[in-house]
Amino acid sequence: MNGPLIVQSDKTLLLEVDHERADACRRAIAPFAELERAPEHIHTYRVTPLGLWNARAAGHDAEQVVDALVEFSRYPVPHALLVDVAETMARYGRLTLHKHPVHGLVLATTDRPVLEEVLRSKRIKPLVGERIDPDTVAVHPSERGQIKQTLLKLGWPAEDLAGYVDGEAHRIDLDESGWALRPYQQQAVEGFWHGGSGVVVLPCGAGKTLVGAGAMAKAKATTLILVTNTVSARQWKHELVKRTSLTEDEIGEYSGARKEIRPVTIATYQVLTTRRKGVYPHLELFDSRDWGLIVYDEVHLLPAPVFKFTADLQARRRLGLTATLVREDGRESDVFSLIGPKRFDAPWKEIEAQGYIAPADCVEVRVDLTESERLAYATAEAEEKYRFCATTDTKRRVTEAIVRKFAGQQILVIGQYIDQLDELGEHLGAPVIKGETPNAQREKLFESFRNGEISVLVVSKVANFSIDLPEATVAIQVSGTFGSRQEEAQRLGRVLRPKSDGHQAHFYSVVARDTIDQDFAAHRQRFLAEQGYAYRIMDASELLSEA
Amino acid sequence: MATGETEREAYVPEDQGGAAAPRTLAEALRARGDEGLAALLRARPDLLAPVPNDLTQLATRAGTRASVVRALERLDRFTLQTAEALAVAPDPAPYPVLLRLMAGDAGDPGVEAALPDAVAVLRDQALVWGGDDRLRLVRTARELLVPSPQHPSPTGLGPTVAEATAGMSPGRLQEILQAVGLPTTHDPVSAVVALTGLFTDRARMDALLDQAPADALGVLDRLVWGPPYGEVTANPTPPVRWLRDRGLLLPTTARTVALPREVALHLRAGRAHRTPEPVPPAVGPAREYRPQVVDSTAAGQAYTTLATAEELLKKWDEGGPAVLRAGGLSVRDLKRTAVLLDVAEPVAAFWLELLYAAGLLASDGEADERYAPTPAYDEWLDLPAARRWARLATAWLTATRTSGLVGGQDAKGRTLSALGPDLDRGAAPEVRRRVLELLAALPPGAAPEPEDVLARLRWERPLRGGAGAGADLRARLATWTLDEAELLGLTGRGALSGHGRALLTGPGEDAAVALLAPLLPEPVDHVLLQADLTAVAPGPLRRPLADALAVLADVESKGGATVYRFTPASVRRALDSGRSAADLHAFLAAHSRTPVPQPLAYLIDDVARRHGHLRVGGASSYVRCDDDAVLGEILADKRSAPLGLRRLAPTVLAAQADPAALLEGLRSLGFAPAAESAEGDVLITRAHARRTPPRTPPAPVPDGPPAPDDTLLKAAVHAIRAGDLASTVARKEPEAAVARADGSLPRTSAAETLATLQAAVLTNSAVWIGYVNADGAASQRVIAPVRVEGGYVTAYDHTADEVRTYPLHRVTGVAELAEE
Repeated sequence: MNGPLIVQSDKTLLLEVDHERADACRRAIAPFAELERAPEHIHTYRVTPLGLWNARAAGHDAEQVVDALVEFSRYPVPHALLVDVAETMARYGRLTLHKHPVHGLVLATTDRPVLEEVLRSKRIKPLVGERIDPDTVAVHPSERGQIKQTLLKLGWPAEDLAGYVDGEAHRIDLDESGWALRPYQQQAVEGFWHGGSGVVVLPCGAGKTLVGAGAMAKAKATTLILVTNTVSARQWKHELVKRTSLTEDEIGEYSGARKEIRPVTIATYQVLTTRRKGVYPHLELFDSRDWGLIVYDEVHLLPAPVFKFTADLQARRRLGLTATLVREDGRESDVFSLIGPKRFDAPWKEIEAQGYIAPADCVEVRVDLTESERLAYATAEAEEKYRFCATTDTKRRVTEAIVRKFAGQQILVIGQYIDQLDELGEHLGAPVIKGETPNAQREKLFESFRNGEISVLVVSKVANFSIDLPEATVAIQVSGTFGSRQEEAQRLGRVLRPKSDGHQAHFYSVVARDTIDQDFAAHRQRFLAEQGYAYRIMDASELLSEA
Repeated sequence: MATGETEREAYVPEDQGGAAAPRTLAEALRARGDEGLAALLRARPDLLAPVPNDLTQLATRAGTRASVVRALERLDRFTLQTAEALAVAPDPAPYPVLLRLMAGDAGDPGVEAALPDAVAVLRDQALVWGGDDRLRLVRTARELLVPSPQHPSPTGLGPTVAEATAGMSPGRLQEILQAVGLPTTHDPVSAVVALTGLFTDRARMDALLDQAPADALGVLDRLVWGPPYGEVTANPTPPVRWLRDRGLLLPTTARTVALPREVALHLRAGRAHRTPEPVPPAVGPAREYRPQVVDSTAAGQAYTTLATAEELLKKWDEGGPAVLRAGGLSVRDLKRTAVLLDVAEPVAAFWLELLYAAGLLASDGEADERYAPTPAYDEWLDLPAARRWARLATAWLTATRTSGLVGGQDAKGRTLSALGPDLDRGAAPEVRRRVLELLAALPPGAAPEPEDVLARLRWERPLRGGAGAGADLRARLATWTLDEAELLGLTGRGALSGHGRALLTGPGEDAAVALLAPLLPEPVDHVLLQADLTAVAPGPLRRPLADALAVLADVESKGGATVYRFTPASVRRALDSGRSAADLHAFLAAHSRTPVPQPLAYLIDDVARRHGHLRVGGASSYVRCDDDAVLGEILADKRSAPLGLRRLAPTVLAAQADPAALLEGLRSLGFAPAAESAEGDVLITRAHARRTPPRTPPAPVPDGPPAPDDTLLKAAVHAIRAGDLASTVARKEPEAAVARADGSLPRTSAAETLATLQAAVLTNSAVWIGYVNADGAASQRVIAPVRVEGGYVTAYDHTADEVRTYPLHRVTGVAELAEE
């Protein structure tokens, strides 16, 4: 009766991390509970239907879950919760999708009333064909994704056992000279391959690209890779050429600038979702080759239309890569039903403990507005307020002070407002990358930053996603988009990449005191604290006097 | 017909039994010991209200329809089957005849073993009387249980040959005799006897049936286990005709035939019931857990119970939802409550009813009626956790209110609302206790199959779970009991917990509390503070700490632990409640096991820095003057102190005194103030925790009179005995003769009339009555009363030679017949 776990009635699990059995408990609950917050003493996990179904998909049964809860719980576990867990888990797999020699694709059940219930649903009716026998109904093969999505919404997620097409074979091998897949990357690849399709959750900087490469080497088939933007596409190409047997010529880029279709094609979400006259002209990409594997980078940013296309690609293996399953739009269930269940997950802290990502020091610097700024802020229009406080002049001085403090290290300054960034760039004598910067220019600047030719780079929001800046050790955030958790993860990811010299990474956010800037910051910092990064607060005066 | 039979028997002198054989139920009762009477009264407490004057009255009352129905409803299946068998047996029936009806020709060891007990129970309850050689079912019970076309008996048996041939022409009877190869007789009575004799003779019947065509046997097969009636056309099929010709089917109406009881019994090898059920269905362990697992699961749920109760009543602390005009909680409020507690609506209804039954929640009874916690709630809160639980569990055990009905409809189609009227079901406590007793009979840690429990309950009270609209009430009550016991934490994983067992069967509440207490989370006095601005209390907090923290932070998650989140608003709330930032820092440092994280310290300081920047206060009036020297003068004057003046600005004074008093005060100081309009007046109101006036919990509404205790029983038996002695002595006086002498109407008091008629029913004797009909014409009649009920006496009227019913109020008096 002295376990490390406290089960709450709202289905959150509190894990006392300093407890001697905390590690064993963490391992026992990780398959079915999502880590929600990981502050210093007590970690919060949440048990959701999706999490339980993920566990079912990974082969765990309700008894194991109940045992884990009862075994490690400090207090008696409410019976209702145990019953609920068992009932929820029992819902997965009652319905299965199979291949059928005559009817192509069929939906079969082990529990006839369930089939009756779902067939009665208006949303299911158009997706199914004739009833083959009392327990089986034909499904239009084109509706494989749609029906999975709908069944999940009805609370009866179907297990997809219909298998995958092999696709057009293409030889891909990992070229492991001088490096090797890390154990957790290896596990992630195995977990994905075993499950067929699904999502691998790894922190930024933990080498998701290599997991993708590993999966491609397993599939040995033509591969379509979907990424967020062109920079990221080039990054992928670069990595693949370096780490696999693939050559430049085998990898095509399908973006706004180029439309190459090669055995391995990297496309951006943006070009796929471009609409002309109500149609998506680049959709044919999906059918242009017999793809054996589709990789989705940054699944949590997957735009809604891509979900729709993905629904039609259910016969192909799909690998989702992401740092977080949390979507700001709450479409986690679509990720589950269309790309697949979670196949691998490793919390940041654990990978950090293994030494693969750098520990970060997070500091919030509070600056005071000057009297005149305060007056301007107080009288500003509501929509202008954030801009006023986020771009206060004091921030510039603080930023300069921090840059001075870390002179010689690779520093990124990240912000939202272009004028502010331009001004900062001017004062710091650093180049600015923003939306209008051409891609060629961007890559050139990134390259020189990587080489150490430039030590300070000012970037706007466009640089937030999927670029790789391995040598940045300090990130200074001067303004952000209204407290998005996702953005925070991305920004932290920037500086968390492994450092060659084992330097500690620093993450500064500069915040104007007593303004909505501080409120937004509080939201973002809560995310940091929840991820387990104890952060400090400093007063600007302190920092300025230090410098 | 039954009347005729018994009547005949009643006049047969009792010579073979000697003095020991009782002639009436009253005599049988008189022969019982005090213990025997007490047992009867204990089993049928309705006989005690009011205490009968003597044994005759007791016997009469025990024979009334309402009381017999009540007693029959409380019989278990086998005892009821025994009574049903007696109802189809000859009256009186010797024990071997009964045994044969129950066990069949072949015998059945189970039945043989159980039958004596069943007979003993029937006898104890005065449903059967007489020795083993002459078992007699009381007449009302017999009437209730005997098969008739309107009320088919569960035995599925039809009328006897004698009953079925009652209206048949003598010629037809003789034809039947011929058809079955019996010699013809002179009169119908002996014909019936001969036919009955044949039908009850196994060997001769076998021979007769051997000749039957296969189709005819098929017809018999269909009727043998009932219903024993079949429809026939005017021109029946050959097999039916074959059977009818031989009396194996006897016509009841033009279109229906019945299978005579004797024939059916022959075909059933003597059994009155297809499956006698002498042994109750077993309730065995279906799943077994370690008792610790059961106890801790139950304790977890018990803790949830307490948390739920407190959460709900805390929420309603300042007045809960409104009471509907018809009483109860509106559907919307129930929904809200369900959302608040994060449970399904039926579960929410259960918690509400539980708190109501425990007297912790009631309507405040004001004009605008709302629900609120009762003063008892505050007392309850001060109890230790295990004791709090025991209070709720005890209240649940004895409550007749059933939350399971909420959401259903009453007979008039109105929806039953939670906390509303019409939720009392008298059977609830009994079913609850019985279900839990069944659980308690299993070894610790064992859970039964709910179906088995239901089957057992049905066996124990077949009539109550059986027919009618309230048919499955007991089954539903039992199902609810299993669910609710689990919710309440009396059971865990379907098995009775240790503390539940103690509460139910063992030494009682104290023992249960002692067992439960160590299983409940120990209150803790510290929290863990974290950088994400949360505090986690790893267990229930001690009350003062919990209250203080609830002000300083918002509760984010509840359960075994509590997660609090600090927000600017929550910190401001704490500052508002009068604490300073320093207080808060000290409070957190004192109660945190971990260092106070820097962001939290910053949060408190940030909020504190801005807190109180704007000041708001209450004043009743003010003094305004452009000349600040005058205001200074007022303030300096000691006599102005009672006015509560304070300088807010150079030209404004605020006062606590109301404007009238202030004016008065300033005038008395020698000033000449003028009143201003009352705008700007601040009224201060403070919210009070709202409580109902003292309330008692709703009294259980039991299904009948309460079970009498031993003292009462003893006293009652004494009283009845004494009364009986008095009345039997008095009876010897030949008072009746007086009335007859002059031929005038007999006159007796109403009570005496009633008693005499009832006694006549019991003794099957005829009496002489005076009667005034609706036209005012008086007459004297000799009647043999059959039934006295509802203000009427039904009797065979010897004068009119038919059965008639007379209203008692028209009977002027009763006298016994002289020719005795």
